[in-house]
Amino acid sequence: MGYRPVTSEFVFATAQYESGDWDSAPLLPANIIDTIARYTEIAVAPTGVIVPLSDDRMLRYPLLYLTGHLPVRFSEAERRNVKRFVERGGMLFVDDHNHDIDGTFHKTATEEIARTIAPLAELPNDHPLFSAFFKFDGPPTTSHELNGWGDNLVHKRLLAVQRGGRIAVLFSNKDYSSEWNYHPESKRFLTVDNTRFAVNLVVYALTA
Amino acid sequence: MAGRRLERASTNAIAVRLSEWTRAPSNVLLHADLGTTPEPGIVDWLAALQHSGHAVTWSGSPPAVAMSSEALADPRGSVRIDVAAPSGTSVTLRDSASVVDSVRVNTLGATIVTPLAVGTLVGDAGGQRFSAPSPASARVRAIVVIGNASWEGKFIASSLEERGWPVIARFHVAPGVDVTEGTIAPLDTSRVAAIIAVDTTIQSLGGAVERFVRSGGGLVLAGPAGLATNVASLDAGSLGARTRPSVLPADSIGLGTTGFYPVTALAQDGVVLDRRSAGVAVAARRVGAGRVLQIGYDDSWRWRMTGGPGSEIAYRDWWSRVVAAVAYLPAAAPAVLNGSAAAAPLAHLIDRLGPARPIAAENIPRPPLDRRLLLTIIMILLLTEWSSRRLRGLR
Repeated sequence: MGYRPVTSEFVFATAQYESGDWDSAPLLPANIIDTIARYTEIAVAPTGVIVPLSDDRMLRYPLLYLTGHLPVRFSEAERRNVKRFVERGGMLFVDDHNHDIDGTFHKTATEEIARTIAPLAELPNDHPLFSAFFKFDGPPTTSHELNGWGDNLVHKRLLAVQRGGRIAVLFSNKDYSSEWNYHPESKRFLTVDNTRFAVNLVVYALTA
Repeated sequence: MAGRRLERASTNAIAVRLSEWTRAPSNVLLHADLGTTPEPGIVDWLAALQHSGHAVTWSGSPPAVAMSSEALADPRGSVRIDVAAPSGTSVTLRDSASVVDSVRVNTLGATIVTPLAVGTLVGDAGGQRFSAPSPASARVRAIVVIGNASWEGKFIASSLEERGWPVIARFHVAPGVDVTEGTIAPLDTSRVAAIIAVDTTIQSLGGAVERFVRSGGGLVLAGPAGLATNVASLDAGSLGARTRPSVLPADSIGLGTTGFYPVTALAQDGVVLDRRSAGVAVAARRVGAGRVLQIGYDDSWRWRMTGGPGSEIAYRDWWSRVVAAVAYLPAAAPAVLNGSAAAAPLAHLIDRLGPARPIAAENIPRPPLDRRLLLTIIMILLLTEWSSRRLRGLR
């Protein structure tokens, strides 16, 4: 487990769960941390952490990133902690690494979220999330959505569970886990940085 | 010297005797034996008799009780009720709708905070009734939360919103980029009740902060916000080096578990509100018409997220109380008491009739001679005379 001493910095945390391949995008955290440091003055820890959902210490990281390809079934401890996490104001970002609405990850993860917290609903494309830092007309499209795998759809909206006017769970079929899973130094080869939406995610979580 | 005619009545009988006493000649002494203080109307009637030339006195030991009520700066419209009564007294409080609460008074009195009070508040302490009007709810103004984008600022703002406070938030994200919710300017007490600063970004508000506080606004300097130069003249004290206690992985985190900035070199008029073994964690002072609270805690959000059961509620309540302690409240029009008991009955009684005075000895009527005793004496005298006559011839 990659725990660090208690600090006041923002720490990017990846959720580890028992049922699936939670570590399917290992380069993503470093890339997002690089993006946050590049565009903002947010005090960000230089490395991320991996936190088991069954461990109470997951509550120390109010923004959690969860991904995978395989079925998601929370254990009782995971379910209890995720429920507590959301009730206390945490935000869970779930990304479907299959980008497939008929895939096992999508079906089981959305069922699990509905069971643990509440059913997901479409997030309007004018939600403050899309203008929290960079301006987007909706969730930015990824190069992976039409790559011949998954459902071959451009997913026009994200899904979310909102509590008290704030996003508690954000669910994406955009496959940002593939889109952002590369070494930060490779950003220089891109005309437009495709990780900019991650800044919106973090800024929204820290300010909304 | 012959005493004056005396009329006296106890607390329970006095109401029905007032009409009779009013018609009594002015040379009749009127005296009340009081176990409890009568209703204000009766006391006022007695005072009127006294002013019209009657000699009115009272004696006894009614309990010294008093009550006051005040609207709190709370979006839920809370009312604080302060009760004074002899130590150990049980007091039951009612409003015009129902029983509010009951409390046992200690040496420093008792305080009750109730979310709602209707009409007149009436206390009952062993039969002594006393009352105070329910204050009108205070109209709360917005709370400004300012700082860098961080969990601390986010959770303070969201907790206050959950509690019902209108919040204006400004979080700095990048050079020239702030995430804002509402507009801070103009910073005055007609719109804003208090400012919470979580770091030194409050410097961007310049001298407006001091003007705001001196005119009655509240200021909470949390964690490193006390280092901001534009509020240096408002600080309750200086900030020492942040304490960093070791936190074990399995530790449940509460307020201050992960350390805090101790408030040192307290201002001359600074008051300590929370002291820990590592130093003063919370201090306060008044500046002009406003109040400043300096809080050493800089990551209170961990208490909400990782504390024990119910910590999110405790965290929300704590921050709401912090804000209420400094928030600007416009002076409310005095509420009119519409009850049958005074707020401080004994003080009202003494104010109207003067202090307790026992009846002068000469005015205490002697008990009439018992007729049976008189008859016995006459019989003895007659018997003595008869005996004297009968026994005279025996000599």
